[in-house]
Amino acid sequence: MTFLLDDVLIKPWISLVKILRSTAIQEAYDVEAIQDDIKENQLLYEIGERPREEYEQRREELELELEVAENARENLSGRVEVKQ
Amino acid sequence: MTVIMADEHLYTYGVIDGADRELAVDGVAGATRLYTVEYRTLSAVVSDIDTLEPEQTDENLRAHDEALQTIMSDEDIEAVVPMRFGMVFKSARPLKNVLRGSRSVLTRTLNDIEGTVEMGLKLVAEEGVTVDRESVREDVSGRLRGVSVEETENGLFSDRLVLNRSYLVERDDREAFDAAIAGIEDEYGGSLITQYTGPWAPYNFVDLEIGVDR
Repeated sequence: MTFLLDDVLIKPWISLVKILRSTAIQEAYDVEAIQDDIKENQLLYEIGERPREEYEQRREELELELEVAENARENLSGRVEVKQ
Repeated sequence: MTVIMADEHLYTYGVIDGADRELAVDGVAGATRLYTVEYRTLSAVVSDIDTLEPEQTDENLRAHDEALQTIMSDEDIEAVVPMRFGMVFKSARPLKNVLRGSRSVLTRTLNDIEGTVEMGLKLVAEEGVTVDRESVREDVSGRLRGVSVEETENGLFSDRLVLNRSYLVERDDREAFDAAIAGIEDEYGGSLITQYTGPWAPYNFVDLEIGVDR
């Protein structure tokens, strides 16, 4: 009987934690947003608004972020639903 | 003495209508020679490569594009169906199988894009400037409609981007298209930066799913 009561009380919490965690992963590892930032960085360089050095430094940072995000999604998506 | 050669695979740039040809052009992964693999009337333009998964570096991407531009600038070649970066076949046999299996769709696509090139147009808002985006987009469509065959929308990946499109343009209409772009630059010069690129192989107007068994 105790077991059943605990089960009922705990389940909504599990569900809420899952949703929060899923949202956090989407925001922290937003692959599409990073890809957009990479394209924007390239565009600003091409139209002469971003100096080469700044462009290259930003690109390195973003490529690293992208790699981390892609790996994280791959590793975590099996455990937590991540909307694409 | 036994010499062990690295496996030579075929990096594919695109498909043309026509027979055997060879081009002294720099290709992907340091290739210096492009040649064709034929199946009936179709030819795939390829270069040798020792990996099935070439690295997507700036240098390789540029080599892929430049090779396609050289193919397109050959007066004897009416059209090229471009492949996306990274299409490698183990040998000529699976490549010929793909040409055979996709022959009708490739031939139809080559006919559709014959004598055309792709041009890219991006309009970027000057920093801090607000423009009526919808009105700009409509105006640009109107100005370019008569001098292009087709337009396609690309992603607005930056808040500063007002318009990002590709246009399929007849080679014979290039001058008129350039003049229309100059008109757009004159009209919006104070508020929008114009980025006009090309000619490209018509990547954005070729919608082919080719099943590959490498």
